[in-house]
Amino acid sequence: MSANTELQWKGYAVHDTKEWDQFKVVDFKPKQFEDKDVDIKIEYCGVCGSDIHTITGGWGDVHLPLITGHEITGHVVRVGPKVTEFKVGDRVGVGAQVGSCYDCKRCKGGSENYCHKAIHTYNSLYPDGTVSQGGYATAIRANEQFVFRIPDELPLEQASPMMCAGITVYSPLKTNGAGPGKSVGVIGIGGLGHFALQFAKALGSDRVVAFSHSENKKDDAFALGATDFVNTGDKNWVKDWSDTLDIILCTVDVSHHIPLSDIFATLKVHGRCIMVALPDDALPGINAFDMTTSGVLLGGSHIGSKAEVVEMLELAVKKGVKSYIQMLPMKEAGKAVQGVKSGKIRYRYVLKVDI
Amino acid sequence: MSSNTEIQWKGYAVHDTKLWDQFKVTDFEPKGMEDKDIDIKIEYCGVCGSDMHTITGGWGEVKLPLIAGHEIAGHVVRVGAKVTEFKVGDRVGVGAQVGSCYDCQRCKNGAENYCHKVIHTYNSIYPDGTVSQGGYATAIRANELFVFHIPDALPLDQAAPMLCAGITTYSPLRTNGAGPGKSVGVIGIGGLGHYALQFAKAMKSDKVVAFSHSENKKADALALGATDFVNTGAENWVKEWTDTLDIILCTVDVSQHIPLSDIFATLKVHGRCVMLALPDDALPPIHPFSLMASGVLLGGSHIGSKAEIVEMLDLAAKEGVKSYIEMLPMKEIGKAVQGMKTGKVRYRYVLKADI
Repeated sequence: MSANTELQWKGYAVHDTKEWDQFKVVDFKPKQFEDKDVDIKIEYCGVCGSDIHTITGGWGDVHLPLITGHEITGHVVRVGPKVTEFKVGDRVGVGAQVGSCYDCKRCKGGSENYCHKAIHTYNSLYPDGTVSQGGYATAIRANEQFVFRIPDELPLEQASPMMCAGITVYSPLKTNGAGPGKSVGVIGIGGLGHFALQFAKALGSDRVVAFSHSENKKDDAFALGATDFVNTGDKNWVKDWSDTLDIILCTVDVSHHIPLSDIFATLKVHGRCIMVALPDDALPGINAFDMTTSGVLLGGSHIGSKAEVVEMLELAVKKGVKSYIQMLPMKEAGKAVQGVKSGKIRYRYVLKVDI
Repeated sequence: MSSNTEIQWKGYAVHDTKLWDQFKVTDFEPKGMEDKDIDIKIEYCGVCGSDMHTITGGWGEVKLPLIAGHEIAGHVVRVGAKVTEFKVGDRVGVGAQVGSCYDCQRCKNGAENYCHKVIHTYNSIYPDGTVSQGGYATAIRANELFVFHIPDALPLDQAAPMLCAGITTYSPLRTNGAGPGKSVGVIGIGGLGHYALQFAKAMKSDKVVAFSHSENKKADALALGATDFVNTGAENWVKEWTDTLDIILCTVDVSQHIPLSDIFATLKVHGRCVMLALPDDALPPIHPFSLMASGVLLGGSHIGSKAEIVEMLDLAAKEGVKSYIEMLPMKEIGKAVQGMKTGKVRYRYVLKADI
């Protein structure tokens, strides 16, 4: 069957950014169905830091009421007539993007994640005026370009957080050459960080160095594949780690934690730090001199392309990458967002659909 | 003859950072002669922005009285017992560095310009306690690693500014892959910028785009090898130049000139901007979102290695790279630094030794 008229479109929405942990089930209209669209009955959705930044208003205007969530897995229930990759029943995932222009140099060149007209999974406006609604819901509609087959070996709840957190760290690791001969640093062991350690190891990096601001996550870091653990609360850590790293992924909000100049000091000549954390505020001020000392680079990254997501999922299966998740029924979304805000979660909440 | 005991060591020194355009001829003691040192009788010295930042106190503490200047060209008059590359009479240059530790991973691997114990040509302290004094002087002593043969095809006054301004732009162009298939942007057409355009062209970059804040330097930019000229005072320039450049060298103080977000907007996916300007103050705040939009990198760079300088001078000789200089007798150093401060020079003052 290529159509399912029984799909209900409803989800747990925030109605007020001042009451960001209060969710109410609301009906919503998905975008108009188009030839390359895929409808997915959602089973699981991970809770991402982006959800919190959005629902609190920290990242700016929110189209209310809003259903967030962009670490989605489930089954295909309908495919448009021009869909070629998927059929009804397929196990699939959707991440932080559901559309693009399909026509620009970037879309045509395998960088659809950098399209200037990217449609994000929630809080974005489609050309037809619909506001995109996310995965704390019964279903989602997305262009097949942004739908990914989940390998049979990966349980859907394990795959969910890889749809955003996983690819967000995998893409810059790959782009910046993590692998044999390279030493990789990961600052912050959380939703993103726990994947970064595993993928850096899975790619064959010589050293995988975990940086955390206390000893609490040390055991986990080693279990996740770190070769070294650095407590940035210790004195002298900068000196000990000077000139040791080729690539650093920074997953924390540095304005409250580590000075950028200390991060740069750990880099080798022409090493690079990729900032994957997206705090509400700007980074603390850097002096041009901070970057001359070792000719380093500071970069950004935005999720990944389809090719990278597919590659990541294959590597995850091959190398046994594990998502450290805590499952909650979707109606407990409020509890989950509070847990993420307070940093309690080890390391990702995954919500199970219950409506 | 391997030694010349007749060198008088004296130069034009600043005695007060509040009177930074007042220079007095002052005797000085060079560092103790060591086996790999070379003494050079200075003929010419270029005036670099770094000299300004230093003598005004903008870059911090100055060991007064100080002789600045690090774009030096002249002749070898003495060589130490273990010098192998040079002999008396050779035409040579010295740039912004005169020493390093010679022993670390960086020094041993051709990245001596990134040694953590770098000795800069002026205002640095040698292990023996001597303060390094620069090239607005009769002579300079430097380790042979930091002395460079000037090709016969290059007049010494042409070569002098290449020893800092030239290499400061050549090294990042090389490191970041400028050449066939690449589009290079140069922001600011001045001492650094006028070399950046020429080297980007000499390296056969597809496009060399000059950015300036008025039309004044357009003719020069095109003569220097730019394929395109952008007046950033015009409306809509950002839109027209979006997603066009692989590499940008920024030679201006962005807090006074173009917002970083505008610069980033011109970059292709994973393009990079290397910040060569070293203003006194911090860069304007950077939001990770602005790095994320095209997954770009912002970097720094510090002069270049010996290998890069040799390569640069050969390329300059081969491809006819020209230094646009204004020659002044060294006693008019005060006039030169004033001209630098007001941005009048087109594009480098070179001082001719006269003491």
